[in-house]
Amino acid sequence: MPHKAMPNLHSVAPAAPVAPATAPRPVALELRDLTTVFPGDDGPVTVIDGVSLAVRAGGTLAVVGESGSGKSMTFLSALGLVAAPGRVRRGEVRIDGADILHQPPERLRRLRGAVISMIFQDPLTALNPVFTIGEQIVEVLRAHQRIGRSAARARAIELLARVQIPDPARRVDDYPHQLSGGQRQRVLIAMAIALSPKILIADEPTTALDVTVQAQILDLLADLQAETGMALVLITHDLGLVARYADDVAVMYAGRLVETGSMEEVFTKPRHPYTRALFRSIPRLDGPVDEELPAIEGQPPNVARLPPGCAFEPRCTVGRGRADCCTRRPLPLAGDRSGHRSACFHEDLPDRTEAIR
Amino acid sequence: MRYFRHPGFLIGVILLTLLLIVAVAAPWIAPMSPLETDLANTLAPPSAAHLLGTDQFGRDVLSRLIWGTRISLQVAVAVMALSLSLGMVIGAVAGFFGGWVERVTVSIIDILLAFPGFLLALALVAARGSSLETVIIAVALAFTPRVAAVMRAVVLTIKPRTYVEASRAIGMGTMRLLFLHVVPNSLPPVIVVATVSAATAILAEAGLSFLGLGVQPPAPTWGNVIADGQSFLASNPLISLSAGICIAVMVVALNLLGDGLRDTLDPQMRRSSGRVL
Amino acid sequence: MSDTLSAPPPALELVDATRVFTRRGGLFKKAGKAVRAVDGVSLTIRAGETLGLVGESGSGKSTLGRLALRLVEPTSGRLLVDGRDVTGVSKAEMQAMRRDIQMVFQDPYGSLDPRVTIGQSIAEPLKVHGLWDGDGPQKVAGVMSLVGLDPSRADRYPHQFSGGQRQRIGIARALTLDPKILVLDEPVSALDVSIQAQIINLLQRIQRERGLSYLFIAHDLAVVRHVSHRIAVMYLGKVVEMAERDNLYRRPLHPYTVSLLAAVPIADVRMRNRRRTSVTMGEIGSATNVPPGCRFHPRCYRARLVAAAGGVPTERSGDALLPRACLIDQPELRACGGADQVACHFPETPETRSEVATAVLQDIGYPPIRPIPL
Repeated sequence: MPHKAMPNLHSVAPAAPVAPATAPRPVALELRDLTTVFPGDDGPVTVIDGVSLAVRAGGTLAVVGESGSGKSMTFLSALGLVAAPGRVRRGEVRIDGADILHQPPERLRRLRGAVISMIFQDPLTALNPVFTIGEQIVEVLRAHQRIGRSAARARAIELLARVQIPDPARRVDDYPHQLSGGQRQRVLIAMAIALSPKILIADEPTTALDVTVQAQILDLLADLQAETGMALVLITHDLGLVARYADDVAVMYAGRLVETGSMEEVFTKPRHPYTRALFRSIPRLDGPVDEELPAIEGQPPNVARLPPGCAFEPRCTVGRGRADCCTRRPLPLAGDRSGHRSACFHEDLPDRTEAIR
Repeated sequence: MRYFRHPGFLIGVILLTLLLIVAVAAPWIAPMSPLETDLANTLAPPSAAHLLGTDQFGRDVLSRLIWGTRISLQVAVAVMALSLSLGMVIGAVAGFFGGWVERVTVSIIDILLAFPGFLLALALVAARGSSLETVIIAVALAFTPRVAAVMRAVVLTIKPRTYVEASRAIGMGTMRLLFLHVVPNSLPPVIVVATVSAATAILAEAGLSFLGLGVQPPAPTWGNVIADGQSFLASNPLISLSAGICIAVMVVALNLLGDGLRDTLDPQMRRSSGRVL
Repeated sequence: MSDTLSAPPPALELVDATRVFTRRGGLFKKAGKAVRAVDGVSLTIRAGETLGLVGESGSGKSTLGRLALRLVEPTSGRLLVDGRDVTGVSKAEMQAMRRDIQMVFQDPYGSLDPRVTIGQSIAEPLKVHGLWDGDGPQKVAGVMSLVGLDPSRADRYPHQFSGGQRQRIGIARALTLDPKILVLDEPVSALDVSIQAQIINLLQRIQRERGLSYLFIAHDLAVVRHVSHRIAVMYLGKVVEMAERDNLYRRPLHPYTVSLLAAVPIADVRMRNRRRTSVTMGEIGSATNVPPGCRFHPRCYRARLVAAAGGVPTERSGDALLPRACLIDQPELRACGGADQVACHFPETPETRSEVATAVLQDIGYPPIRPIPL
């Protein structure tokens, strides 16, 4: 794939989907140059740095990264949910082409839930223990719609059935502690899809669950997506889930995008040295067992103390010690088109210790 | 360093340091003896000789207040030390060992907490006669269950931490575990409670003395000074007022110290220089 | 097998270990139901061997790990370390045992006292066992270097280290007494993906250098495969399958093992849209309410297949038609092809393997992948 010049972020034309294989669908959610800062001891710390992403209606975008890479913060920023003293410094968040970030807070609140919805990692703390799950779903409905109590309750039971809670007419009166972890996550999904949002952001929805339950929850999300045509953003650290469910992948490192592309492209031809190293380092069910794992050396960086050059340079088998990698940061990736790209000066060079694969 | 970024804490420390200096240096800085009466010069208004005037026996109010600082601080420190050591041991044992030990202790704590502390002090004074020691013991006894309850609650949150189990895994004995890992990590909230209770102890001492059940006159305590001035509030308000201000200053100082400790001893606050996320 | 007299005793042996938790009733509370967190588990770990222990949360695998250290006392059963029975021994003998068997915890943030420097933490086992002497500081520095920590940072506090480094500290602390056995309770699952490989490599290097035995508790089957020689699969307090590593992944016998394998997310494009909901049904349920018969039957795809195929007495249970044996008889762990053991009435032997299991095995790369229609 030819290395294209980075377009000027502020003059990009409205997104034109150019996915080769999939049917051209409109972009449901687009982030442009999103940048979020937190005050630090030595001036503001940029935790999200120029992130540009797009996800199409009916498509699934997986956002992959380690803790602290900014993958959750990106979407909290997009929903206007960054906790003070953090703030979004610049960028745009477009839903169906219209910027939502600079809307008044009340309008943004109405958009959340109705148009764009989010589910979180911990299904226990996300539910209020003193209300039944039915009451909590009814509350979501009534906060956004003119709907009577009994109608809302009927709708809640319907939603519980839709997320495959057995015997929903009875379980609707259960309290969160009476449900298993997987069922709680199903309830949260029911609340998230209650208003038929166009975009659902799932932030590590199965990290707290067992693998057997994880598969069930993600299959459910995929089914709901197929039914409703909503766009799904799957924030995860698990490349296995990405392979199973995602159309497109965005890899984040230290608050920046380092690689974007279709799942097939990124998985078969990973370009950024970080992505390549990540694939090598995870143990595989069919990999060799009696050798050392090709681990990524060093620690994930602290975004408050990033090196002047590429954030991955100290751990990189390609760029470590190279003059350009040590002094300059690669330009941020623009996410307005689905080409496969990486933010690396030397993506065509092999790793110096390339051993397997 | 971090302590002094907290303005309340800083003010509390400065005030308490000043009060401590006053207490220690009382014999040298007090203009005259707190007990020396001057019947020719009773209820005198403030003057160069008596900056805050004199009381009904002609004693110098300023000198009485300066000496009173000693007694008040003594009460505060002694009550804190007593209730802290007793309450911490009881609370730690109850929380850490659990079982019937905990059930018995918690029942006793609950009963004592339900019992008005002042009543307890009155009963003790009645039994032992009023003296400084009785006041200290009475107030300390009233505070011990509070400290114990807090200590137990904190220990219950420390007990399930992995590092406690990790210490067991290396073969550490129960007592060592309790004193090396559980108690030090339980200290901050307990110390805060103790600081605040020291402030209340000073108020209690003043209250008891005011009622004539505390340290007996003519000993110069702030409570006694207020009691002495009470009859002359209309003509000489400065006597009671100045003692009241002393009490207020010390209570505020202790409360500021407690607030500051609560904020600065919290390990989360110490980590503020770490990662943002 | 070979002559049992000349063979060295296993480093660690659990015989019929059981742990029942009961919640005490109060004045106005009814006593809680007894939970058989570990229910009659027997296993051995040879010197230098890693036994992987897998299962979902609630399977009892963590409790079993704690039983091995007597951090949790067994309700019944025996525990042998190096051939010595340490089940009911005195405090002094317990201390001696603790020198031989140590533990590394899952949570690298919680397993270190925030108020103690890491040097003191690592030195603590020596002090507790009265082994602190002039060589103490050197020993601490040595074990820090061994796990890849700079000994000059011994006077720092835990919060000054990253998650991966804290897990190294936890490992160093477990190694200070030069134990023979390490119980590793999910040692990498709280770590970032890029750090997991570092810690796995470190643990394997230490094992090679020091001939340690590991009880490696984890839920990630790929990680377990990479480190283990043998693997035990637990379900609701019981071991349901125990097999040599390659056998477990090449020819899993228990339907639960197949379900676990089917649920492993594999980072490979050919897994795109591959669904396994039919293989991994429902959730583990509570150990307070263990189903009668085989405890896996409410979730077992294989029992349904066997019943549907006919030829065995069946019975209806809820919506499902199941073999009567699965509903009534609790299967015991028995040998099934060589040294491998399984507790199942209808195991997935190579001859009787279901299409479901065959498809799962093809997905994970055993045998080499052929495209399969779905």
